[in-house]
Amino acid sequence: MKEKLELCEVEHVANLARIELTEEEKDQYAIDLKKLLNEVEKISEIKNYDEELLITPVEHTVSLRKDENKRTISFNEIKKNIPKSSGNFVEVPVMLHE
Amino acid sequence: MSKYLDKSIVEIHQLLKKKEIYPIDLVEEAFNRIEKNKDLNCFITLNKEKALKEAKELENLEVDNLLFGIPIAIKDNISTKGLKTTCASKMLENYEPIFDATVVQKIKDKHMIIIGKTNMDEFAMGSTSRTSYFGAPKNPWNKKKITGGSSGGSAACIASRMVPLALGSDTGGSIRQPASYTGIVGMKPTYGRISRYGLVAFASSLDQIGPMTRDVYENALLLNELVGRDSNDLTSAWREEEDFTRLIGKDIKKMKIAVPNYFISDIVNLEIREKISDMITLLKENGATVDFIDIDYIENAVTLYQIIAMGEASSNLARFDGIKFGYSIPNPESLEDLYRKTRAEGFGKEVKRRIMVGSYLLSGENAVTYYNKALQIRDDIRKSFQKAFESYDLIIGPTTTTIAYNLDQDIDDPIKSFLDDVLVIPVNMAGLPGMNVPIGFSSYQMPIGLHIIGNSFEEAKMYQLASWIEKKLNLDLIPKEGESHES
Amino acid sequence: MNRDYQVTAGAEVHCELKSKTKMFSDSYNNYGTMANTNINEIDFAYPGTLPTVNGYAVELALKASLALNCKINKKMHFDRKNYFYPDLPKGYQITQARSPIGTDGYLEIEIDGITKKIGIHDIHIEEDTSKSTHYKEKSFLDFNRNGVPLIEIVSEPDIKSDKEMVAYLEKLRETLLYLNVSDCKIEEGSMRCDVNVSVSKTETLGTRTETKNVGSIHSAGMVVLVEAKRQIEELEKGNKIQEETRRYDEKENKTTLMRIKEVGNDYRYFPEPDIPFLILEDSEIERVRENLEVLPDARRKTYLEKGISLGNANKLIQNKQLSDFLLNLEDIDLVIASNLLLGDISAYLNKTEKTLKETKLTQEKLKDLVKKLSSGEITNKVFKEILTELMETEFSVQEIISSKGIETINDKSYLIEIVNKIIEGNKNSVDDYKSGKDRAIKYLMGQIMKETKGSANPSLVNQLLLEELSKR
Repeated sequence: MKEKLELCEVEHVANLARIELTEEEKDQYAIDLKKLLNEVEKISEIKNYDEELLITPVEHTVSLRKDENKRTISFNEIKKNIPKSSGNFVEVPVMLHE
Repeated sequence: MSKYLDKSIVEIHQLLKKKEIYPIDLVEEAFNRIEKNKDLNCFITLNKEKALKEAKELENLEVDNLLFGIPIAIKDNISTKGLKTTCASKMLENYEPIFDATVVQKIKDKHMIIIGKTNMDEFAMGSTSRTSYFGAPKNPWNKKKITGGSSGGSAACIASRMVPLALGSDTGGSIRQPASYTGIVGMKPTYGRISRYGLVAFASSLDQIGPMTRDVYENALLLNELVGRDSNDLTSAWREEEDFTRLIGKDIKKMKIAVPNYFISDIVNLEIREKISDMITLLKENGATVDFIDIDYIENAVTLYQIIAMGEASSNLARFDGIKFGYSIPNPESLEDLYRKTRAEGFGKEVKRRIMVGSYLLSGENAVTYYNKALQIRDDIRKSFQKAFESYDLIIGPTTTTIAYNLDQDIDDPIKSFLDDVLVIPVNMAGLPGMNVPIGFSSYQMPIGLHIIGNSFEEAKMYQLASWIEKKLNLDLIPKEGESHES
Repeated sequence: MNRDYQVTAGAEVHCELKSKTKMFSDSYNNYGTMANTNINEIDFAYPGTLPTVNGYAVELALKASLALNCKINKKMHFDRKNYFYPDLPKGYQITQARSPIGTDGYLEIEIDGITKKIGIHDIHIEEDTSKSTHYKEKSFLDFNRNGVPLIEIVSEPDIKSDKEMVAYLEKLRETLLYLNVSDCKIEEGSMRCDVNVSVSKTETLGTRTETKNVGSIHSAGMVVLVEAKRQIEELEKGNKIQEETRRYDEKENKTTLMRIKEVGNDYRYFPEPDIPFLILEDSEIERVRENLEVLPDARRKTYLEKGISLGNANKLIQNKQLSDFLLNLEDIDLVIASNLLLGDISAYLNKTEKTLKETKLTQEKLKDLVKKLSSGEITNKVFKEILTELMETEFSVQEIISSKGIETINDKSYLIEIVNKIIEGNKNSVDDYKSGKDRAIKYLMGQIMKETKGSANPSLVNQLLLEELSKR
């Protein structure tokens, strides 16, 4: 088994996760991520299993909510937690496409 | 100095009822103890001002329940309105929630007093609490040792008797494993028993909140107050109301107990295996049946856990983007810059590793080869546990494979944190309840714990066995400073 | 256009559901208000929040699925679609990728009198994103729309022309409007339409392009036309069609490139663990099916059977409030009723800018009115005179007539005079009557009513006329 990921593989997963990595970090993650991936690769050795999925370990099903309003909060309440706001809006650097 | 907090909750309750003491006495004593044990680094945020004020206000109210006025510590990934909830991350260093978790609301309704928010692994990702942005908590039995994790702060503040009650959360052993390392009782209830509303999600299908306490009875008392269907959490279950203390004190004769062979294989430290072996003998001597069994796929649980937990985590932590709350880099050059740098600077190394691997496991074809397959085998694990419970009341084994190790050992090993939890993870995979109860000490005076696994919603039966063991062993579980022999 | 090529198109239509609250949170579904007022901690994806499922929104999605002849998925699950964008606060959208509520349905359209089925691949439930506006180097987010319930209706590539595209979308819109499932206002964004187009000379479908957010149903038809033309031109030049996302420019009537599709857009779908299985019981499905609103096609059929012209039938269908007003009134003369509704009543509503519901006109009153008109008890002239009172007061038709003093003339001796005067003046008609031509009665009646300026009691006049005629 390989000891580390290719640089482009590290860059790919960092891109999926939207995490910027320095060059040194990339080298380190190339090793660390490979160790983890070698671990999860063990799943390929497991044979003989059922098709049925377990998504959440509960026996019950969804109980539907009534179409009624219980909670509404004011923008002022959450404004203090918003890194950048402008009037009643949340502000971000311009979005590139719709 | 007063020692009210060394008394049992029932005794404290009597004193409060007779007005010999007041909640403020308990709160002040808790903060004194916290101050004295500051070096254990159990808390991230203290709620001192509000706790003292609340304690004062409680003097005007009737002492109407056993937990009235009792100080409680909350793991810092459980949302508390107006009280910082950091998840031990730089990402949420200054985040103040605008709502209470359902369990926090329940705690307030019963007039318990929230003392503070406890230290933990960042976003509960880790098995030692060392990934905390605020530094690792220390084990009260030996300050050079880890507390375990991720609920390390909650475990250590109970073990050192700073407060009698604490909440932890358990995704892959995060209540039971630190409980074992610090010699306390920790229960991860059945998935769905307690509302997760307000618990910052790590892996949604595995996370569960649970009580961490000094003894079994008090654990059951606290669980009584936490459970119940919550309309805000679709995975919480409707159950008849029950008293979890009701089987405590009952005999264990004829109880049918199973020990999975995997749990006593050579992956487990010899000293721990001996303790388990002694326990098996004790149980048999007292009329219980103990059989050794195999549970299919149990040895695959960690692999499945890695895939499912990291996959879910990569999605659950996508909301931390520097836009709505939490850390955000100053003056981003572009939207992408905002995302990438905020997440690079706001998350620690362990969290980033897991998010990256999780994203990878869900991408493209991997969603089928890894994720889907993991969910399929997860169903098989659950079924093989169910099969075992057709013949047995409870399953037991050790909680951990090792005894709490040194704080500087294996730092940054990306695999170690998973392997520490190899015995506790299968329980989360199956959604079953699991608990730790202390059963002795290593040769260096570090606690060793027994892991009890029950069938779904059979926590009361687990408490029955745990309390029987607790009474039989009658261990002194208060850490004494300077008694550790290992360097 | 080059006839060697077969054009194939499909539509992906998003419709916002008309529920009071959002899909997975209980804040109000109303984003027309001031920015960030209909929000709560769930909409802002606060750490620790969890989704709940709006039962009414599920019912609306079920209605749409049943009306579009879909197979209903009785055991549903939701999935997470993961991507980073500021209008998506959780970093994922909750949708149904693996088990949509409805599959394998169809919608019938009519082109030049020929009926054709357009297949519905699936209908799935999901949540809307936040709204963003852009100014200079910044974007501003309003979370009111975040979490609004949506259904996405994905057609099969069964649409072969611009005409079919327009017919399909109009029919879809009409159906959803009638079900009260959605407002379906493209201009306001409560209905959004993406158009897929490909061309091919063979049986195998060509590479398709997707044109996003088309601004009107008419434009969707144009997209089929211009995009097919563009693709054929490219192919004829020997170029390949790229799988890409395009935008339609209404002024220029052409599509332009937005972006080349990333190789297999990596949305990292996985089952939403916060929501257990959603089970639809058969009894529930049947309850919804039985209570489905009468759809436009069925209404049109009834109207035509009752003698309403096709033109008027379509006018009624286009104006749902009028059509709804006629529901359960099948026993009265629908021709008269529809004439009233489409004529003077519509004019009144336009003038006063009211909806029917805002007036005092009830189904009972309309029923009464139509009966009186068809029996000749009142005349159209009288109706015009009392219209305002009918619409604006609680009084019954009879009460209004009495109070206005336009009481019908019941004075027998006075009426006999007039009857005889008319008989005398219309000898020919009398002869016609005698020789068995019943139509003559109608003519004579009309002359009498004219003489009395329409205020004579028609049934009394009728009786007197017959009596007087029998004497001759």
